[in-house]
Amino acid sequence: MKLLTHNMLTSHVKGVSKGYPLLIKATQVKVNEVDFNPKFVSRMIPKLEWGALVQAAEGLGHRQDLPGELVSDYEQNEDFLKKVHRILLEVEVMEGCLQCPESGREFPISKGIPNMLLNEDEV
Amino acid sequence: MAEPRSEEDVIRYFCTAGNGMEPFLMEEVKKKLAAEDVCQLPGKVLFSSSAGIDKISDLKAAERLFLLLKQDSPLRISAHTSSAKAASVLQYRLLGDKNQWTGAVMTWSRLQGELAGSRTTARTPSSALGLMIKIEEGRGSRGKEEEEGSCLVESRKSPEEQREEENGNERLKSGEQNGTRTLEKKRKRNHEEEEEEAERKNVEKGKSAERGRRREEEAETGMDVEFNSYHGTDVNQSTTDLENNVESSSRTMDFTERLQNGMNTCGDKDQTPLIVGKSKPELSSSIPVSFRISCKCTGSLSRCFSAQEVSSVMGAGLSRLLGWKVDLKNPQLEINVYLGDDLCLLGIPLTRSPLAKRSYIKTTGLRSTVAWAMTSLAHIQPGSRVIDPMCGAGTILIEAAQEHEAACFLGLDIDDGQLQKASENTAFAELGHRIHLLKASSLALPLTGSSVDAVICDLPFGRKFGTKTDMATNLPLILAEMERVLCVGGTLVLLLSPQLSFLLKKVLTGPSSHQEAKPPPGTENSPSPSVCATKQQAKASPQLSLLPRLSSLRHEATFRVSLGAIDGLIHKYVKTEC
Repeated sequence: MKLLTHNMLTSHVKGVSKGYPLLIKATQVKVNEVDFNPKFVSRMIPKLEWGALVQAAEGLGHRQDLPGELVSDYEQNEDFLKKVHRILLEVEVMEGCLQCPESGREFPISKGIPNMLLNEDEV
Repeated sequence: MAEPRSEEDVIRYFCTAGNGMEPFLMEEVKKKLAAEDVCQLPGKVLFSSSAGIDKISDLKAAERLFLLLKQDSPLRISAHTSSAKAASVLQYRLLGDKNQWTGAVMTWSRLQGELAGSRTTARTPSSALGLMIKIEEGRGSRGKEEEEGSCLVESRKSPEEQREEENGNERLKSGEQNGTRTLEKKRKRNHEEEEEEAERKNVEKGKSAERGRRREEEAETGMDVEFNSYHGTDVNQSTTDLENNVESSSRTMDFTERLQNGMNTCGDKDQTPLIVGKSKPELSSSIPVSFRISCKCTGSLSRCFSAQEVSSVMGAGLSRLLGWKVDLKNPQLEINVYLGDDLCLLGIPLTRSPLAKRSYIKTTGLRSTVAWAMTSLAHIQPGSRVIDPMCGAGTILIEAAQEHEAACFLGLDIDDGQLQKASENTAFAELGHRIHLLKASSLALPLTGSSVDAVICDLPFGRKFGTKTDMATNLPLILAEMERVLCVGGTLVLLLSPQLSFLLKKVLTGPSSHQEAKPPPGTENSPSPSVCATKQQAKASPQLSLLPRLSSLRHEATFRVSLGAIDGLIHKYVKTEC
């Protein structure tokens, strides 16, 4: 699971009103080199929950020196875009789990694929 | 007729396309190739372009790509015309000047060289390349003869053009060194197997329900097979003719075409004299170009001629005109002839395997052309987040990611096996960094609201899945989830069975209208699916009343495309502020 995906994920267990963001408990994290596409990153940034992204990166030890608040005029800041690129696409949680912040329900991550399937009684 | 041209010149091509795919292909050639004189016929799109062959052979909505040899008004031959007369009319109209043929072969040969040159990576599927590499392999003995053979033709060409061809061969060799060889061989073998299989099916076609699904594969195998699926009755007609003509025409000449190979496989293999044509391809040094004619006749003409007769007459004529040799098994050149009530069309295929057979897809799910068509409707922009909530083997996302480099994709599926396939496929296509996967149910998407720019989904239906009832019941819920995760202005593109398509319209127009006895007037025009849909509707209706009316989804367009055995309907919606 890349942090780009994590940024969209929410717990949808029955009765949970605030299932976002999910807490990452990683046991294996991989960093792959991925081609840097500045256009993609700068177009993606406004769609992100910035706080959740930085928090997730921090938890995995890959925050670098990214600010807690999104800086303005990042489009021209290649250094900044590269850092965002790194946490969005290069850092990948291979094994571990995601935890619902409200219910504590854990969703396992195996071979990089989170299992967000709920049991019958949770829907 | 195609003339020898310089690189900058405009060349006329045509592509075959699945039923309903023509408008997508029209759009694509205009947009990507700046094509001119674009002309749409059922199952075909004709166009002129000066774009590089690498771009042209990268068309996504097409089945097969041909260099256009000749396009002419339809032949009018009355049923009472004697066969000799008819044959001479055929030859007169279709053969023409020999310079036109050699010119076209020059162009074809140059394009082949360019194709081989542009595809230096091992992942490319050009089987025309495969054919030529085979020649290279046999360089010691047969290859030698082959070379001499082509020289005879080239003696008519200017030395400059000759050099151009040699360059093509050089490029071929370098491609081989880059490691294409083994892969190509493998692909070629696979392809041949497929072809044989398709031919076998051809013969036994149309009897059981299962055949329909097979025909889907046939349609992808090639044009002559495709012809069968589109013009079923005509084929039956010409197959019968074929049977009657097998003896006579083969006595006059050891010539046949692929349809017949199918017949051989099915029965009288040993008695058919045509088997000569199937023997090992030994190219004689005295023959310059070996060729095979694949012919399709439809409409009124198919009552005067069988495809086989046309092939015979044309084959004989070409042999006489140019000294070329017929070779059914492994010709250097294939010439496709289409004779219909709308036009006559002659072309040379530029790649042996269909363009629709993607080099980057390992396990095929949905038809790649249809998947691509769906993605072309989704308005994917740089920075778009695109999901497929029932991604299966990931075909749609792979087609989308190939086309849109600055977007990211998320595939969800409930089944571990499917996710495994999708994972292998995205890795094979080297798209793992942009296509991410997640295990989840489409009834409860674990995504925040308004977080997605496009939802593209092939809703499982039909025999293959056996989930028709579930799908009908769950459709409103699934749709509600898709609507929830889409941002305002986002696009929803769905592929549905005719039944589900009808049901979907009911769901979207709200519970108030689902008591209507008749389907609303619109794009749906076959009455039979609506009967089934009404039954399913009864099951689904308890769900319906529990849901919001989903009125934020505005219908934009519906397209009917062939999926082989059945048709599918592509619906496009845009989420509006409600």
